[in-house]
Parts: sequence; structure tokens; C-alpha cells
Amino acid sequence: MKTDLLVIGGGAAGIAAALEASAQGLEVLLLERDTQLGGILNQCIHNGFGLHVFKEELTGPEYAERFIHMFHDKDIAYKLNTTVLDIRKEDAGFVVSASSLQEGWLELECRAIMLASGCYERTRGQIQLPGDRPKGVMPAGSAQRYLNMDGYLVGKDVFILGSGDIGLIMARRMKLEGANVHGVAEIMPHSNGLTRNIVQCLHDYDIPLFLSHTVTDIRGKDRLEGVTIQQVDENWKPISGTDKHFSVDTLLLSVGLVPDTMVFESLDIAMHPVTKGAVVDQHYQTSIPGIFACGNALHVHDLVDYVTEESRRAGRAAARYVKGLSVRQKRLALNSGANIHYTLPQYIDTADFNGVISCMFRVTKKAEQGEFVIRQGDRIIQRKKARFLAPAEMEQLDLDQTMLSDHETPLTLDFEVIRP
Amino acid sequence: MKKLICIVCPIGCHLEIDAQHNVTGNRCKRGIGYAIEEVTRPTRMVTTTVRLLSQEHPRLSVKTSKPLPKEAIFRLMAALESLTVNPPVYMHQVIMRDFEGLGVDIIATRTIPG
Amino acid sequence: MYDFIIIGGGVTGALIARTLSRYQVKVCLLEKESDIGNHATLANSAIIHAGFDPEPGTLKARLGVRGNAMYETLHKELHVPLLRTGAYVVARHEDDVAILNALYERALKNGVEGAKLLSGEQARKLEPALHRNSVKVLDLPSTKVTYPWEVALSALENAVSNGVEYRLEAEVVGIVRTDKVYAVTLANGHALKSKAIINAAGAFADKVAGMIETHVPYKITPRRGEYLVLDKSVRGFVERVLYPVPTEKGKGVLVVPQVHGNILLGPTSEFQDSPSAVTNHQADLSMIRQAASTLAEAIPFDKVIRTFAGVRATSSAKDFYIRQSLEHRGFYHVAGIDSPGLTAAPAIAEYVVETLIKQDYDLESNPDFNPYGMQYPHFHEASLAKKRQMIAENPAFGNIVCKCERVTEAEVLMHIHRPCGGHSVKAIKKRARAGSGLCQGGYCEGTVVKLLARELKQPLETIDYYRKDTPILMAETKVKR
Ligand SMILES: Cc1cc2nc3c(=O)[nH]c(=O)nc-3n(C[C@H](O)[C@H](O)[C@H](O)COP(=O)(O)OP(=O)(O)OC[C@H]3O[C@@H](n4cnc5c(N)ncnc54)[C@H](O)[C@@H]3O)c2cc1C
Ligand SMILES: Cc1cc2nc3c(=O)[nH]c(=O)nc-3n(C[C@H](O)[C@H](O)[C@H](O)COP(=O)(O)OP(=O)(O)OC[C@H]3O[C@@H](n4cnc5c(N)ncnc54)[C@H](O)[C@@H]3O)c2cc1C
Ligand code: SF4
Repeated sequence: MKTDLLVIGGGAAGIAAALEASAQGLEVLLLERDTQLGGILNQCIHNGFGLHVFKEELTGPEYAERFIHMFHDKDIAYKLNTTVLDIRKEDAGFVVSASSLQEGWLELECRAIMLASGCYERTRGQIQLPGDRPKGVMPAGSAQRYLNMDGYLVGKDVFILGSGDIGLIMARRMKLEGANVHGVAEIMPHSNGLTRNIVQCLHDYDIPLFLSHTVTDIRGKDRLEGVTIQQVDENWKPISGTDKHFSVDTLLLSVGLVPDTMVFESLDIAMHPVTKGAVVDQHYQTSIPGIFACGNALHVHDLVDYVTEESRRAGRAAARYVKGLSVRQKRLALNSGANIHYTLPQYIDTADFNGVISCMFRVTKKAEQGEFVIRQGDRIIQRKKARFLAPAEMEQLDLDQTMLSDHETPLTLDFEVIRP
Repeated sequence: MKKLICIVCPIGCHLEIDAQHNVTGNRCKRGIGYAIEEVTRPTRMVTTTVRLLSQEHPRLSVKTSKPLPKEAIFRLMAALESLTVNPPVYMHQVIMRDFEGLGVDIIATRTIPG
Repeated sequence: MYDFIIIGGGVTGALIARTLSRYQVKVCLLEKESDIGNHATLANSAIIHAGFDPEPGTLKARLGVRGNAMYETLHKELHVPLLRTGAYVVARHEDDVAILNALYERALKNGVEGAKLLSGEQARKLEPALHRNSVKVLDLPSTKVTYPWEVALSALENAVSNGVEYRLEAEVVGIVRTDKVYAVTLANGHALKSKAIINAAGAFADKVAGMIETHVPYKITPRRGEYLVLDKSVRGFVERVLYPVPTEKGKGVLVVPQVHGNILLGPTSEFQDSPSAVTNHQADLSMIRQAASTLAEAIPFDKVIRTFAGVRATSSAKDFYIRQSLEHRGFYHVAGIDSPGLTAAPAIAEYVVETLIKQDYDLESNPDFNPYGMQYPHFHEASLAKKRQMIAENPAFGNIVCKCERVTEAEVLMHIHRPCGGHSVKAIKKRARAGSGLCQGGYCEGTVVKLLARELKQPLETIDYYRKDTPILMAETKVKR
């Protein structure tokens, strides 16, 4: 039997995409490697989820459970404990190889694929932290899983590098569970986490935040014994004489997430240098027609609500593709201009515009006030004023077909800072 | 004048509150309530886990049914240390009722079948 | 009473143990760490050098070239991985050319097979990432790459299956000789007796020798080498090992394709006091980036997944120091085994046993000696039909533990329970590769901890990261009753 849409990953993204595609009449099969649906939400026991989608504030597990209920109500086919390993392109679609303890090796045929495999955490090696390599340096998300799912603290004296949300949330969690959290260092002059997390997770517990600081030494033979942090200059070079030492047994890293696109390995899919996910058009379709991506597997989101909304759109788009309603002919580039870190989509399929495009993007620097401007050539086709902008927060701007002057000239999005 | 960051929702508005409890900077009216409470009697939602007697799920995630006075947080954590729950547990099932008479329950945030 | 005690479970000690197991002798290998091969054998460039740079006539030259050839047999018998990469030694300016020509002459003298000179242009056709400033290249087709740690493991495991004993966490702290018998004291207080001792303690060899020799004929000055590791998605960036023209400081920073598809950049070369400190330094890591960039174009530095460092046992003897003690009969020094020690290791073992030991001892062949090591399947590399068959025989092959490296539960269990099994997270990482991919164990580490606890019937909080007393899960929460 050939499935219409095979969804890889059963987190917020995979569930939303599967629900939407199924609502559009598609035969969907979802594969999840874990023993349960919900993905990363299961370990994010803090609240702060669902404000856009449900207009109330939920914890990660609550948000997941609502969607899992809807998913089961629709009787969508799924397999747990099943890891997708590879994708092959065939004439009329794809063959997905997967493996599980219960069913063994599976070769599954499908017409379209939705990659919703989430992200993985950047590690010590990827940021090339110098020093000794003892036990006790680990990504904050791993520590979160050990603490919230398994019930174990990975250390008693903790320092945290990186002020991303996971780091901040873990500072509070470890503190609540009795660990001593000595501080959080952030190499940038501003935090990468949501402001509310700085307040609730650090200020509330008097945990110091060292901005423009990084870890410059790690000491310990077998177990971690201590870390040194130093202030950095505007070029991120450590400033001598600014050393501070902390005797800790654990260094948690919250230094970024990277889309997990491992199953794309044997395919030639165009990847984006900034998002580290696939390059897509407004249908979330990658450079290989029929392969879609959404959620953290496409670009890293700070709010699950945006993951859900994006994945619903992706699910609908995949349905249009399977039904033959969307035949890509022309892609127009949407470029990241001044002060824009990246946009999503990066291309616009002008042959099948299909309604309003929600362009998601991130700015490169913090600003009190500014304006987003989309230009086509010299012509401004869309603009919007905004306040309190930060790279950590995703912004959105709508674009519709009538705004375009032609289907040839690429678009550029700029962020113009307004000085008070 | 006191500067605060609203934490009621993830937007995190930058608020200012004066001695007469006039609030500015809020994008919605919940920000006003937050600012006033924050300067009078701060409270926080607490999310944590309790021990669950289950092989597959050794911990159950829980939360306070409403915000708890900040000064009571560590007492709550201590009280939960010795609590053990048996599956099945249903989402929003009360795990501990009316902590210290503060009117705050501890409720499960997920379902774990028996 | 043993006939031979080998001190040190690196590639040298392990291969000597295996060579001795060809004979009817009672052998025990002692290793101070919680796993074998944790020092130089774990952290090096993994190259089976062709033998182009050691001075002709030295042991390094002789045993290096012989060792290189012997790896083909090890590959067949012990299934150690072998990547027949070949290598280019690259002259990047005209001043280098004279040195390159001299190296070519030396390669011929040392008996290196197939060595030839190419123009920069010719070489770049075959190796497009080669730096455009390369003027002349020495092509060394007999250069290979292996997974050194696995060489030590499979050699020791084969030795064990042929009767050798080994002990981990067995640090030798004292040696005395009375009535032609050596008594070896371990840090845990145990004492072992043996007729002869082989000192293969790597960078610690002078310390071990100092336990018995009044005059240690060499001094070891540890020399650190640091590396960057690129993710295996860069496979094919270079096909060959790239060396710069060596300087008096050593072989310089290389670009080395690895058997699992990663690429190593390094090593640096810095003397240090400690024989064990493997600290990474910001300055060294920057130096690698800069030096490697003069060998190859557009190195994908954004694909770095790891850094590490190893310590070379550089000795004052300049050459390998392999000979019987002048003071104590039956005490053999196998010391100063720095580069090309990995390459030479099988030939060193052969030389120690067949030449040195045989001069003094009558060794009787072991009729039951089986040269073949166990073969541990890699599920991911199997054909589709084979995969299905493996799962049919053992469903645990269906359970993927490490997604990055595609390691299954069945493989993890096999590497826990094999004769020289791994009982810590990192010991499993080294045997099964679980956790060596992009996410560096971010996903599978927890699963490995649980599998170890289940299989070893130990509580979760006793499962170590690597060394003794390094649990990942330090304290259970919610345990107050
Ligand atoms: C620590 C943390 C804190 C957060 N806090 C908040 C917050 O307070 N508020 C908020 O709104 N958002 C928050 N977020 C963001 C939001 O929760 C996530 O972005 C969102 O849940 C991601 O959903 P996803 O489905 O894309 O990824 P995931 O939830 O990671 O789901 C991916 C799924 O794919 C599976 N998978 C991966 N590879 C394969 C494969 N090869 N085969 C089969 N299955 C596979 C995985 O097992 C996983 O279940 C947080 C995120 C993190 C990481
Ligand atoms: C940076 C670097 C790059 C290199 N690159 C190459 C290369 O590309 N090609 C090549 O051919 N060679 C290379 N080498 C050299 C090669 O790695 C070594 O020569 C080889 O690994 C040495 O093995 P060994 O067994 O002698 O030493 P080791 O692997 O260091 O083993 C010695 C063992 O003895 C143990 N020990 C020490 N003291 C005691 C004690 N008191 N009691 C019990 N046990 C003890 C130690 O714990 C250790 O496990 C390189 C080396 C380094 C450091
Ligand atoms: S004021 Fe309203 S919108 Fe602003 S952070 Fe508070 S709750 Fe959110």
C-alpha cells in the first residue's frame, strides 16, 4: 500500500502536519522513534506554551496531550519506536527505510514526505570550547531530559553557558531540585532567551547573568572541577584580566539548536547556510518536489505555537501537492537584507501563490523600534513598524500576490532600526 | 517609578509602574494586574515533577493550579519530595490539595495510563 | 607466576600480547585505566605511514615500513578497518621543493613502495581540494588509515581468546626483582609475580622503568598534539592524507580522512610536563585552522564536531628504544614509541618477541593459537537482505539506539558482553560508535546508560561516563521518604 504522506517525527510539528493533511483527505502515516508522541514537549514541563493556539498558557506536556487527543480522534496511522533512516526517490514518489524493535526493517512507499524530526543541540565540540575534557559538560536539553523524565540531577554545582531558553529554564529547574546554580554566561551583549525567562528563571533566584562573557577554560581530569569565564570584546575576543573562576561539577551548554536533517543525507536537497534546514518555498516544499519540512527540523522555533501554525500550513500544502493542485514552475527569491538573519520561506512559488504568505524571520540585533520593509527592486511592496525586537524572537509579515510588481525581480526584506 | 518585565505571556512587555500603581508599556490589560501584584505580593506558577511508580515513566510532570506566593516555592518543593503517585494518572488530576491552605492545588500535567 | 607481564594496554602492549599468545607462555597485560588504549592509541592521526621520513637505518624506518605491510594481515585476521588512502606530501613554495626531493630519495632508501613525484597541477587533478599554491607533491600510495583504538582492542581480544590474561585499573606502582623473579605491585595493593616484564607504558615508560632501573637510559618528554574533527558528512572532501613538507618540529598539521568518514585536522606539537594532560588550547586550535588552510582550499570548518588532544612519548633516544635492560635480565624496554608507533606496532611486537625474547627464552608454539579475531557486524553497512536476516535472528537489530551513526541495540549489547567488553558510556562509544556522530550522544547517551544498567544489573547512578566514579546521573530526585 502506498501512503499519500509519510510524516517523519511525532512532535508538535509532525502531529499538526499529519492532522491537517488528513483533514484534507490524505492517507497519512506518521513514524516516531520515541516510545510516545509529543517530541520535545514531553520534557518541557514548564509553562509558556499555547498562548496563540489555545489562548491559554499550558505546560509542554499539556500542549502535547491536546494534540495527541486530536490525533487519535482522527485515527491517523502511526508507528512508535520506529526510526526513519533513509529516503529514496522513485519514479512516482519515495521509499522510506525505517526500523523498529517490533516490526523490524520497513520499506514504506509514499507520494510525499514531511520532515518533522525536530532539532538537536549544539555540543561542546561544535563550539570548540578549549580546556580539559572531563565528564560533566553536557547540552542543557540532555540534562533536562534526565531531570524531568528520568528523575536524576546530572550535577550539584552548575554553571551554564548560553542564555538561550533551555539554559534559563534549566537554571531554574536545577535550582528548584536543590542544585547550586553559580551563573549563566552569554557571549553576546544581550540574552538569547525570552525576557520572561530571564526574569522568572534568573532574577527570581538571584542567579547572575554574565553578558559578553564566555567560558575560556574547563578544568578537571575525570570529573569537571571548575570553569573560567572571561569578558569578551566586540570581536568576541576574551579580555585578559577579566577572569572569574567557578568551582562546579557541571557545565550545561545552551549554545543553540540545529535542525535535524539526517534522513536527508543521501538526497541532494538544497540547505540553507543560516537556518541549517532545507531551503523552502511558501509551501514548505524543499528543492525536491514532494519533500516538505516543518517545525524545528526546518528552522529552530522559540514558540511551539508557531511550530503548530507553520506545520498546519505545511500539511495543507503537502495535500495540495499530492492532489496535483500544486505544480511548481517558478521560484522567486526572498532575500534576507539589512539586519535580517534569515527569512522563511526563502523562495516564493509564483505559479501557485495560493493565498497570503506568512513570512517568518529573525532580526540580527536588538532594537527598541524599527520597521520591516520588503522591496522588489526599488519598490517597497510591504512594510510594518515593530517594537522591542530581539534575535531570539521570531517575527512575521504577510505578503499577498497583488503586492508583487512582477514575477521576475527578487524580493528583499530589510529591517530598518528607528532611533528614538 | 519601577521598571518591570511582564511575564504573564511570552511577549514580555516592558512595563513601568509608579507609586499610584499607574502602569504603562503593557500590550494587554493582564500586564496591569501583573505589575501591581509584582510590587505588592509576587506569585509564580511552579512546574515540577513527582515520583511515579512506573517503569516507563518514573516521573510525572505537575504544576500549581494557580500562581503560588514566591516565598512558598521551596517549601512546596520540599513537600513534593516525599510524594509518590501510582498510575493511572489523568491530566489535571489533583495530586496534592490546597498546599498550606494557600488555595493552590498541585495537578498532573499529563496522562499516564495504568 | 607469569612468564611475562606486559605493562601498558596501548596498541604496542596489545600487539605484543597477541604475538606472545602464539607461544605456550603465561602472560598478563596490566593497564592502569578503566579501558584499554586510552592514551596515545586513542588520540592520534590514525595513519599507517608509508615510511618516508624516518632516517634510514633507524628502527623507526625499518619497523615502520615492515609494520605498514603487516597491517594487511591484521586486516584479514583481526578485521581491523583499513582505508587505503595513499598520501601526498605537499611542497607549497619553491623552498620546499629541495626538501621534498630529499624525502623522495629517503623514501626510496627506506623501501617505500610506489613513491613518486608529481607536479602540483597533476596532484590537484586527483585531489581537487589541494591548495592552489602546491608546487610539487610526493605521492605515497602505500599510506593507509585505520582506527587505532580498534587495532589495540581486537589485538588484545584475540590474545585473550588465545589465553592471555588482562587487568584494567591495574596501575603498576612498584617493581622488585628477587631470585630472578619480578614482583609487581599495583596501586590497589595487589602483587603479581613474573619471570619477565615488558614495559610498554607509552609516555609513562620512563616512570615505569625508574621503578627498577638505577639508570633509565632515556627520558620521555611528553609532546601534545591537538585536533579538530569534521563531521562525516564531509566524506570525500579529500581522498588522501595530506602532509605539508615536514620541519624539525615534526610532520606538521595534516588533513586526514578517517575510516568512518570524518576528517581530522591536526596535530599541533607542544612539549608539556604531564604525560597525561590532554587539554585543548584556543591558540592551538586556531593554529590548526590556519595551518590546515594552507594545505587545502575551503575547508568546511563549520562542520567541526569535536576537538581532542593526544600525547606523544617523545624520547631523548630519538629512535624507538626497544631492548633488554642492561641491569635486569628479562626486563624489556619498549619505549619512546612516538610516531610512527602505530604504523610500526605490529612490527615492534614481532621484533620484541621473535628477535629479542627468543634470544633468551625457548618459546614453544601454541598449537591452539587462532589468529582470527571475532567479527562484530555493523548493521548499517549490511545489505538490505542481510539486514532483514539479522533482524529475523535477533529483533534487537531493529532497534536503532544512535540515529547519527545508525547503531542498533543488538550492537550495543554485543559490545557490552564481548570478551573485552565496554562497561561505560564512552567505552561503548568507542566500540559501537554510539554517540560519535553529529549530536555527540545528545540523543542516545541516556539510552546507552539504561542499557548498561540493565545488562550489568547495576543501578543507573553507578553507570560511569568513562573513568571510575564519573556517573552521568549524579543524584536521584524525590527520594526522601
Ligand atoms: C527546551 C525547550 C524549551 C522550549 N520552551 C518553549 C516555551 O516555553 N514555549 C513555547 O511555546 N515553545 C517552547 N519551545 C519550542 C517548542 O516546544 C518546540 O520548538 C517544538 O515543540 C518543536 O516541535 P517539533 O515537532 O518541530 O520538534 P520535536 O518536538 O523535537 O519533535 C521531533 C520528533 O521527531 C522524532 N524524530 C526525529 N528523527 C526521527 C527519525 N529519523 N525517525 C522517526 N522519528 C524521528 C523525534 O523523536 C521527536 O519526537 C521550547 C523548546 C525547547 C527545546
Ligand atoms: C598526536 C599524535 C599523533 C600520532 N599520529 C600517528 C600516526 O598518524 N601514525 C602513527 O604510526 N603513529 C602516530 N602516533 C604515534 C602512535 O599513536 C603511538 O606511537 C602509539 O599509539 C603508541 O602506543 P603505545 O601502546 O606505545 O602507547 P599508549 O597508547 O600511550 O599506551 C600506553 C599505556 O600504558 C598504560 N600505562 C602507563 N603507565 C602504566 C602503569 N604504571 N601501569 C599500568 N599501565 C600503565 C597507559 O595507561 C597506556 O594505556 C601519534 C601519536 C600522537 C600522540
Ligand atoms: S502585558 Fe499582556 S501582552 Fe504584554 S507581556 Fe503582559 S500579558 Fe503579554
